[in-house]
Amino acid sequence: MRGRPNLYVSYEEEQRILPTMTQRVSMTFLVLVALSVPFKVIPGIKFLGDPSWLQILGLTFIFLIGALGLNILTGLAGQVSLGHAFFMGVGAYTAAVLGGEATNAVYGFGLPIWVTLPAAGLVAAGIGILVAPTAVRVRGLYLAIVTLGLVFIGQHIFRSWNSVAGVPELGRDWGEFQFALWSSDGPALALQSDGDWFGIAMLGEGKAYLFLLVLAIGFTLLAKNLARTRIGRSFAAVRDRDIAAEVMGVNEVKAKTQAFAISSFYAGVAGALYGYFLGSVQLETWNLFFSVTFVAIILIGGAGTTAGVVMGTVFVETLPRIVENTTDFLEVQVEEGGWLAPIADFIIRTEGADFGLLSTVENGPGLSVSQMNGLLFGLLIAVFLIFEPLGLYGIWLRIRNYWKGWPFTY
Amino acid sequence: MTATMDRPDAMASGSGFPTVASRVRDWADKLPDQVAMREKDYGVWQEYTWSRLWDLVVDAAHGLLALGVDEGDVVSIHSEDRPEWIILDLATVAIRGITTGLYPTNPMAEVIYLVNDSGAKLHLAEDQEQVDKVLDAGADAFPTVTRILYVEPRGVRSYDDERLMYWNDFMEVGRQHRAAHPGEIDRRMAEATPEDVITLVYTSGTTGPPKGAMLTNSNSAFAIDNIVMNGERIRGGAPGPHDLILTYLPLCHVAERIFSTWHMAGAGTVLNFAESIETVQVNLREIQPTLFFAVPRIWEKIHATALIKLQDATPIKRVFGRIGMWLANTVGKERIANGGNHSTKSRIAYAIGNPLFFRPLKERIGLRRCRWAGTGAAAIAPEVLEFFMGLGVPVYELYGMTENSAVATINFDGRVKLGTVGEPYPGIGFRIDEETGEIQTKHPGVFAGYWNKPDKTAETFTPDGWLMTGDVGEWVDGTHVKIVDRIKHIIITSGGKNISPSEIENSLKASPYVKEAMVIGDGRKFITALIGIELDTVGNWALRNKIPYTTYRDLSEKPEVIELIQKVVNETNEKFARVEQIKKFRMIPKELDHEDGELTATQKLKRSAMKDMFEELVEGMY
Repeated sequence: MRGRPNLYVSYEEEQRILPTMTQRVSMTFLVLVALSVPFKVIPGIKFLGDPSWLQILGLTFIFLIGALGLNILTGLAGQVSLGHAFFMGVGAYTAAVLGGEATNAVYGFGLPIWVTLPAAGLVAAGIGILVAPTAVRVRGLYLAIVTLGLVFIGQHIFRSWNSVAGVPELGRDWGEFQFALWSSDGPALALQSDGDWFGIAMLGEGKAYLFLLVLAIGFTLLAKNLARTRIGRSFAAVRDRDIAAEVMGVNEVKAKTQAFAISSFYAGVAGALYGYFLGSVQLETWNLFFSVTFVAIILIGGAGTTAGVVMGTVFVETLPRIVENTTDFLEVQVEEGGWLAPIADFIIRTEGADFGLLSTVENGPGLSVSQMNGLLFGLLIAVFLIFEPLGLYGIWLRIRNYWKGWPFTY
Repeated sequence: MTATMDRPDAMASGSGFPTVASRVRDWADKLPDQVAMREKDYGVWQEYTWSRLWDLVVDAAHGLLALGVDEGDVVSIHSEDRPEWIILDLATVAIRGITTGLYPTNPMAEVIYLVNDSGAKLHLAEDQEQVDKVLDAGADAFPTVTRILYVEPRGVRSYDDERLMYWNDFMEVGRQHRAAHPGEIDRRMAEATPEDVITLVYTSGTTGPPKGAMLTNSNSAFAIDNIVMNGERIRGGAPGPHDLILTYLPLCHVAERIFSTWHMAGAGTVLNFAESIETVQVNLREIQPTLFFAVPRIWEKIHATALIKLQDATPIKRVFGRIGMWLANTVGKERIANGGNHSTKSRIAYAIGNPLFFRPLKERIGLRRCRWAGTGAAAIAPEVLEFFMGLGVPVYELYGMTENSAVATINFDGRVKLGTVGEPYPGIGFRIDEETGEIQTKHPGVFAGYWNKPDKTAETFTPDGWLMTGDVGEWVDGTHVKIVDRIKHIIITSGGKNISPSEIENSLKASPYVKEAMVIGDGRKFITALIGIELDTVGNWALRNKIPYTTYRDLSEKPEVIELIQKVVNETNEKFARVEQIKKFRMIPKELDHEDGELTATQKLKRSAMKDMFEELVEGMY
């Protein structure tokens, strides 16, 4: 009730995604900010309208959709899976076959994106349903190993099935990243070329960004909503203790199958978008490391929470770029002798004999930027698992509860 | 079917003396779709609109008629506070019957006494626990009771007693009767007279068996006019339909009856039923009532809990907590010196303290939106009132008793005097007997007598027709009244000195560590006391001082705890003259309880029972 935030007179009210006015206003503001990123609204900020940032953020949204899927399976339903990359691969190649152009080497039907995206999700979901029964038999680590197997089986299939995935060394092309009503029509929304939208000049990256933003918001809302439905609650019950869940009347087999299906659907869509967005993807992409990235996202963000997954994705996906930008900045400091030069000199190794943690020259001691990224990544996962199992969301919760509890602690 | 449909125009409201039932009907006409009650069920607050509430009342009233309950018959209700309580109460008044309530904690023996003394024809037992108290007493323990309603079917369905009837079935019977006899209830309500007895409120019985005080329609009308609709007591005017009340004290007590039922009927305030007495603090936070009445025990509990939570907070919060408490004290002292009004100094302190400390604290304890808070039924420690006054939740102490419909004295807004129960309501007959110091009242709120006890009734009136309250009071500054003690409790030591034990006990109980205190000394050489600790606070204190303990008894017998209580006793002794000082004390080895006979249902000490029970402890001190 208004003015009485804890007084709920109906379940609808209690279950609202954004219960308070403050939350609604701040969320609207956040969406408005996200919508304005492709435009140079504030001239001073380089970040706005920068194609390389738009590219990174576009990828972030794709990863977000994938991570939301894994979060449903692992965070919500408690089924540890390392096979996420495989399901993304399935989705990606489904979209490639349906949406790509046929050549004499590969299949291709040239269907528009509104057919291929759902199809990619559905095919992945179908395979997810096939896999689900194993999750009923094995739990925890063993399930992780089983799903790990999927990644290797998948890679073998992709490598061998050349008419679908192309020749291993070359890969294959996905269709144009555009939204057309039918394949013979011209694109209704061209997402890869510059042009005007409603009279506003837009970069191709900007258009793709907005398209992906809308999809990401949609999938986030769906995921958030799922968590508060009967299905979502049955997932949580299975996660917390599957035997207890069955005692309460939750059908374990059904719940786990649903979790796999929904999770794989998300993965399939994300995989397809990944293919479209990059145009061409190497076979090796769908490997274990790709899966681990998603596990890292939900662990760093906060397993089981939608907001945490959003935070985790943004954090993990922009971190490499931030490290890179910082390295560049430090390098400039060393070369031009800025006020940070002494520290920068210590961290950065610019020449062969110089000491430094990070090396910006090829070959030699010290870490390269990408090695540094890998290291940070591993370190973050370990730190979060040990100190903040609820991830970034947990940190936010802690801050929020500190003020919520004011002037008490409990 | 809405409430208005089956009422013939000729019988429109206005005819018949206004009763609590007819007032609710008027609200249903005026605000049919507005919320009248909320009850927390399955985790959310389910709402009842005025029209639905009145509809249910009419159904229930027809149900009573169908079961043969007629005007002048008694209906007894043995239940926690819940909508059915109010519905059955109003339905009974609507057919000109009489309701009486029992405390949920009443043990079987008291149920037998109360139901038979009132001669109830229909008895509502909330759940299996209360039904058992009736059925276990034997088939002919209740000769007058023809029907036993139950609201919670769990565990009762399998019972085989033809008097038992499920609430929903009862309402269905009522609906059928209503269809067959439309307009019957309105016809009966139009016959209501001021002299109709509407309820029997049983006295708590600290000394003898409880007596049923008869309150009439004119009593309730007088209380509604003088207490409920009194705009002078509340800053911002008399209560109305936008005010929220948390109903949690037993409705069979006159205080909660006035504060809930009569407020609802008179002012149209929204009642919110707490889940249980244990969840009051949680429910308070949810409801954030605008009007809140509590007995001193609850205020002291909220106060003590807040202090302990502040002590347990993290360092930064503790620093802010200390600053906040200092500001609250400043504001509290200033306002009390000004009769409850702000001074410039307190206004500044309040402006600083409110966003930093007071507002979040009030939000946490559930009084952020409270515009009137009251305390009564027992004496309260001034420190507690000062604390709440400092927070900006002025708690007004008031005084009254069942026999005068609680119309006696109240602290009006802006004219508060700490340590007094306020001024008499304007225009009522109120005097303090010069010889005995006893408070006496005479006004239309004075009850019609004790049920079936004309001799006892006669004993409570002076020859010139004034009600003797049995409380000793004295005037403060000629306007305010201070309650000294019950006449019967005054101790006369063997030295011939008159001592009021309540003052000493209240001073002891002002400490957060003391829950119960009983001062002894009648006919003795010196004063002693039995003291019971507050388990929560002393337990927390023991934890912080690393004193391990197992049970209540173990904790109260720890030397460190006795030392702690000794300090409290010493502090109290400093405030009193030599003869009034406690020379020795003993710890009460158990938590006092209604069912064990040490307390009344309203948690008052049964002094004689206590003396018998802890005779060894008492004699050990002399």
